[in-house]
Amino acid sequence: MSQIETFYEVMRRQGITRRSFLKYCSLTASALGLGPSFVPQIAHAMETKPRTPVIWVNGLECTCCSESFIRGAHPLARDVVLSMISLDYCHVLMAAAGHAAEAAMEEAMEQHHGNYILAVEGNPPLNEDRMFCIVGGKPFVEQLRRAAEGAKAIIAWGACASYGCVQAAKRNPTQATPVHKVITDKPIIKIPGCPPIAEVMTGVITYMLTVDRLPELDRQGRPAMFYGQRIHDKCYRRPHFDAGQFVEAWDDDNARKGYCLYKMGCKGPTTYNACSTIGWNEGVSFPIQSGHGCIGCSEDGFWDQGSFYNRLTNIKQFGVEANADQVGMAAAGVVSGAVAVHAAISALKRAQKKTQDKVEG
Amino acid sequence: MTGDVTGARLVVGPFNRVEGDLEVTLDVAGGRVARAQVNAPLYRGFERMLEGRDPRDALVITPRICGICSISQSTAAAHALAAAMGLTPTPQGALAAALIHAAENVADHLTHFHLFFMPDFARPAYAGRPWHARAVARFIALEGGAQRAAVQARAELLHAMGLMAGKWPHTLGIQPGGVTRAPGPREKARLAATLRAFRRYLETVLFGGRLEDFCALKDVAALMRWPSGDVALFLGIAADLGLAGLGRGAGRYLSFGAYPLADGPAFAAGTRSAGAPGPVRPAEIAEDLSHAWMLGGTAHPLDGMTTPDEGMAAPAYSWCKAPRLAGQPMEVGALARQVVDGHPLALALAEEGGVVARVGGRLLELARTQILMEAWVAALAPGESFMAQCSLPRDGQGAGMVEAARGALGHWLRIRNGKIANYQIIAQTTWNFSPRDAADVPGPLEAALEGTQVEGPVPLAVQHVVRSFDPGMVCTVH
Repeated sequence: MSQIETFYEVMRRQGITRRSFLKYCSLTASALGLGPSFVPQIAHAMETKPRTPVIWVNGLECTCCSESFIRGAHPLARDVVLSMISLDYCHVLMAAAGHAAEAAMEEAMEQHHGNYILAVEGNPPLNEDRMFCIVGGKPFVEQLRRAAEGAKAIIAWGACASYGCVQAAKRNPTQATPVHKVITDKPIIKIPGCPPIAEVMTGVITYMLTVDRLPELDRQGRPAMFYGQRIHDKCYRRPHFDAGQFVEAWDDDNARKGYCLYKMGCKGPTTYNACSTIGWNEGVSFPIQSGHGCIGCSEDGFWDQGSFYNRLTNIKQFGVEANADQVGMAAAGVVSGAVAVHAAISALKRAQKKTQDKVEG
Repeated sequence: MTGDVTGARLVVGPFNRVEGDLEVTLDVAGGRVARAQVNAPLYRGFERMLEGRDPRDALVITPRICGICSISQSTAAAHALAAAMGLTPTPQGALAAALIHAAENVADHLTHFHLFFMPDFARPAYAGRPWHARAVARFIALEGGAQRAAVQARAELLHAMGLMAGKWPHTLGIQPGGVTRAPGPREKARLAATLRAFRRYLETVLFGGRLEDFCALKDVAALMRWPSGDVALFLGIAADLGLAGLGRGAGRYLSFGAYPLADGPAFAAGTRSAGAPGPVRPAEIAEDLSHAWMLGGTAHPLDGMTTPDEGMAAPAYSWCKAPRLAGQPMEVGALARQVVDGHPLALALAEEGGVVARVGGRLLELARTQILMEAWVAALAPGESFMAQCSLPRDGQGAGMVEAARGALGHWLRIRNGKIANYQIIAQTTWNFSPRDAADVPGPLEAALEGTQVEGPVPLAVQHVVRSFDPGMVCTVH
């Protein structure tokens, strides 16, 4: 095939109607936080531009990212994005197997050299001569390096590819290494989370496919549009935090009343992700809604911060309603100075805190 | 490579459309597999990472072994911790946990049939067959009508997971004493609606008939006459290709018992060898390391070690250990569970023990589990306690033995000074895809592959046999 199809052609071939196509464009615009005026722009781009090829590779991982993805967002968005990426190479979903699959990947890499997006799920282990993860008889890290060579940009799916995730937990037996430490000469977009939210995955990939540029990234390389706020900022239990109403034990009366899970070890106050706004499993819920705290799975090193059930001790901001007992308790654990100042921070100041502000040692 | 090559060696892999990585080495003689070696090429070292941590961290770490069966891992971890505490979940907590777990297992069976197993029949190699056009229309990767419908139905089923467990994959809702979310009347009503919709999908698309009728089938002949849905398409293909006789297992089945409720497991625990039922004696479980790139000797998982052999010395050929029950390899999975539970159709299928038996066992379990889940939702009692409380001992031990979609899964935990001193996991596919043991007895898949016809560089019969087990490779070695 010498001429690459447009997105629109691909979608029509997949049996998606024009009406659905336009619906998808407006859905995408709103998911990305763009106004209705961007809808024709997205539609135009998709009708006229050749589709961007995507090659999806899997290293050391648990396939939860693929699972999240195929369980997808809006069914339409999922269909569209899946049909776009299925055309090239995806280990979990493609039809071919064995060497035919390897050949398909080689062909896609050659045909679209310099033009494709490389989506990486999982990470390469570097120990033991890199033999803990072998694809097609070769260490995964070689496949990764080779695929990265001709890529326009790289998407690091999930905590594994972005940061290492649990397999990099203390002792890191296989020396599992995040993608950005192996590939240093390509733009890398990190989509952390274990797994990332399906809507975030489809949103980012659509943005790149249609607008043809990288989304704005935060300091850690995450798209600001989805990782700009803390779980805590938009948590529906936030009023209880501010009012000092906490769950003290699983399934106690306070738990049934839906009080704040901070004392049960919730990491919402230090975790930047869109769970509390977008939700999981097609927006049905998110972990805090199930009565369990957030474990901060979209933050670097979430797997090695002491017990997952330990209370956070490094939150700077407390609600004005918080009583002295709670403030004192939190302050005791903070190693840096100026605690009292932070503890007294005003609600106004809190509202301004929209970007990452970690406590430094 | 052609089928008549004698004494040739063929490496099949990487397998796509399986979860994780897998490689199978086949020694071919006379166009058939003479000896098979199954290699799990991915190792992460979860057991090592768990040492020295707060025991409760197992609830967060172990589900991340596998994104497809994460609830099963979390359930096993919760049971192991509960055993160490001497804690029994409240009846309602056990019910809610069973519901969450069953929803995942059902979703897995659906995924396996539609996304991993059936697309092989849409391959061009089968173009001459009368059913090929229909197989393409229904199951070609990502575009087949049945595939799309299944992905959609699964997404909607997993709304139940959202309601009960916050998110899927990797929920944290299941705890040693029950579940963190006490469902109210609203959740109960929504769960019932979700299950009604899922039943409608199963009865109109996949089975094309009432689930109760499918569950009432008593023998293989009656199964093969099932007239409708994608199930009938599969059965027609199976009859045409002779899949019943393909990939026969050794007839030794094991189940730890699925969904422990207040009055016992919903699917019984036990074994069945050569047609005779028997109990599971956990003390008889041991992992043999003779053909795994692991250091140490054969041991019960409570005393086991996971120390990789950096030299990757022969005769080992896999990261996977070889679990044995009383010295024997055991086949696990939906078929094993239904056989051990004594369902007449499963017992009849076990007589064949091949590809049709495994896929048929999975479909049977899918139908039976849907009916169970409906009853469980009806039995949810909002307002009762969904979580029993207890604290962890400073020193102790416990085992969590559960049934994941792909079979028996066990976690063995030792706590010393309030920290994890040892944590060993035997995953479901570790049983099925185990390498040889010291007596050179092959694992269940290796045995099932022997005698399989090999033609072409990607032998389709081999693909069908491997996929009939529903490989979950990232669990296998963890």
